[in-house]
Amino acid sequence: MKSFHLIRRSDVTLKQKVLLYILGIVISFVIGGIFLASLGINPIIYYRDMITIGLIGNRYPAKCVEGFLKLFVPLIITSVALSLSFKMRFWNIGGEGEFITGAIFAALVAFKLGPVLPTTAVIPLMGIAAALAAGVIGFITAHLKVKFNTNETLVTLMVNYIMLYVIKYIGETKAEWNFFLRDDSERPVFAKFPESAMMPGIKIGDFTLLASVIIAILITVGVYYYIKTTKHGFEVSVVGDSTNTAKYAGMSVYKITVRTIFISAALIGLAGAFTAASSGTISTDITNNVGWTGVIVAWLSKLSTPAIALVSVLISVLQYGCQVASASYPSIDHNFADLMQGIFLFSILAADFFGNFKIVKTGGKNDA
Amino acid sequence: MMLDVITLFIFNIVIYSIPLLYATCGEIVIEKSGSLNLGVEGTMAIGAVFGFLAGCSANSLPVALLVSFITAALVGAIFSLFTITLQANQNVTGLTITTIGVAVYFFVGNALGKDWPYLPDADKFVQQSSAIEIPGLSQIPLVGKAFFSHNILVYLAVVIAILLWLYFEKTSVGLKLRAIGENPGAADSLGVHIVKYKYLHIMLGSGIMGIGGLYMGLNLGGTFEGSNCWINGYGWIAIALVIFANWSTSKAIFGTFVFGFFNTLRIYNAPLAATFPNALGWLSKIPAQFFSALPFIVTLIVLIVSSMRKSKNSNCPTAIGLNYYREDR
Repeated sequence: MKSFHLIRRSDVTLKQKVLLYILGIVISFVIGGIFLASLGINPIIYYRDMITIGLIGNRYPAKCVEGFLKLFVPLIITSVALSLSFKMRFWNIGGEGEFITGAIFAALVAFKLGPVLPTTAVIPLMGIAAALAAGVIGFITAHLKVKFNTNETLVTLMVNYIMLYVIKYIGETKAEWNFFLRDDSERPVFAKFPESAMMPGIKIGDFTLLASVIIAILITVGVYYYIKTTKHGFEVSVVGDSTNTAKYAGMSVYKITVRTIFISAALIGLAGAFTAASSGTISTDITNNVGWTGVIVAWLSKLSTPAIALVSVLISVLQYGCQVASASYPSIDHNFADLMQGIFLFSILAADFFGNFKIVKTGGKNDA
Repeated sequence: MMLDVITLFIFNIVIYSIPLLYATCGEIVIEKSGSLNLGVEGTMAIGAVFGFLAGCSANSLPVALLVSFITAALVGAIFSLFTITLQANQNVTGLTITTIGVAVYFFVGNALGKDWPYLPDADKFVQQSSAIEIPGLSQIPLVGKAFFSHNILVYLAVVIAILLWLYFEKTSVGLKLRAIGENPGAADSLGVHIVKYKYLHIMLGSGIMGIGGLYMGLNLGGTFEGSNCWINGYGWIAIALVIFANWSTSKAIFGTFVFGFFNTLRIYNAPLAATFPNALGWLSKIPAQFFSALPFIVTLIVLIVSSMRKSKNSNCPTAIGLNYYREDR
């Protein structure tokens, strides 16, 4: 009986790897195309409409770019932040919960301080409150992980859902104390932020470049240098490789873990604050699944910061493109973007495998 | 009237806990083999939508069951392919399974649009999945109707849970599986075919989840709304329940009942408070969202407390979430 077994390989050149990835992406588009064709939709035309995100033949192209950036900013910050914890092999899948926490605290500051302070004070305070609140969640998770070896995947998963119901509670409860909701509505509806709590931007013709876009790019560049050049960044990679190595080298695993996860969660909280301030309100589906998509983006990018920047752009194009295209293709909604994301990830995972392993035939049954 | 409310209340607990029981049992099978599959939600969605559509077009419950089991098991095969053969990260693969599964659910639903089958048209399917009163037992006052007048999928879930318990505790194959979850290297050296065991059990567990999905779809009348997925977060609750049930399918029967109780309280707290104003009047003051969050809060506490006490009683498979690559042993 012939059987197969795997051996690791390191003889794959960068060029071959890139080719494998390109092949993976092409196969993904083909699989997506089969789905589309099964509905009688011409995949090429659909993909064209999707990739051009409605820019062609649109009288208001600026609105398209703004819509795209609205998806891009939270996604890139969340993915970069998650990659920090993943580098340490800390499976923070709590992006959703941390994002919601940030949004709630940003809204709290907006409603309480917005009416009395100017934008230059309110927006930074919103960001700080959001980052601290989300950071505390990260801190507690990391503390539990290092001290008691509590499974961080499951803890952050539970926190996601607890926070989801917290924001639902705030959003669905009409009460005297609930300043998050509009006073003038019978039904519970989240109120608009005061003018001073809206994300400021620079007007360029029709197009408004929000400050959050610039900060998101700065954060990405900052995290890149943090990982590449600082002592902290080095410590993160050592702990990720082996906590024992870190211990023998005299590093404090506790300090490094808690610090890194705090930063990771705080950045995601900040993304929540940016999203809230950009749309001027919060909602129960404010995350737009960015906590989950962020995991996929971080992984597609193999945790490399420059790759995350690129992949975030592509995934945002995909998501926004599907939203736009759903106007002309009633049988396909924005969930098609999720489908494509998943297929991309699987293709890249498969490409990774063929880049890292070789399948060899083994002779007899016994030496398998 | 009072008694009716109690019977109805318990009846509904059963209805809400059964899909959780399927999903939890499925996930326990998978976790026992050492894999953490976060794709429960997506797997259930796939089993639900394909099982339902097949059941309607064949006008038969057995076909629906078979198709939901097989399609969900195929999803399990994809999870296995990536995590076992291709050595991909389990968390990421599981999350992607959920993303794709739910997306396929919406894709199929939207594609069918107004062609979505109308359940009452499939008369045999409806009849086969309607309630069966168990003679004798269903006559017990108060609880008889609540426990023993359900459709066949409810009884099947309990049977599956008990069979799985026997399988893990009393059979040598079950013991080998547990060994893989605890220490794959040791199991491998004893000649257990790890890859085969993992593949088969992940597929079995996923298939069971798929039936849970079908049950949820049938309970919701099988209509496709387009905005909500039938599964509606139950897959995630099941992952929580595995911990609550301490990786035991017999405890899962009790655990799902407790979680079903929370969910039923969410829906029935107003009638209960109205029927028993003195005893349960306070119920109406507790927000519904609290009951929804309760499974997650309870699980979080269980997780933290058991890890703090370094609990020896925990049955969490030691090698959970870690891929097994023979040459790294």
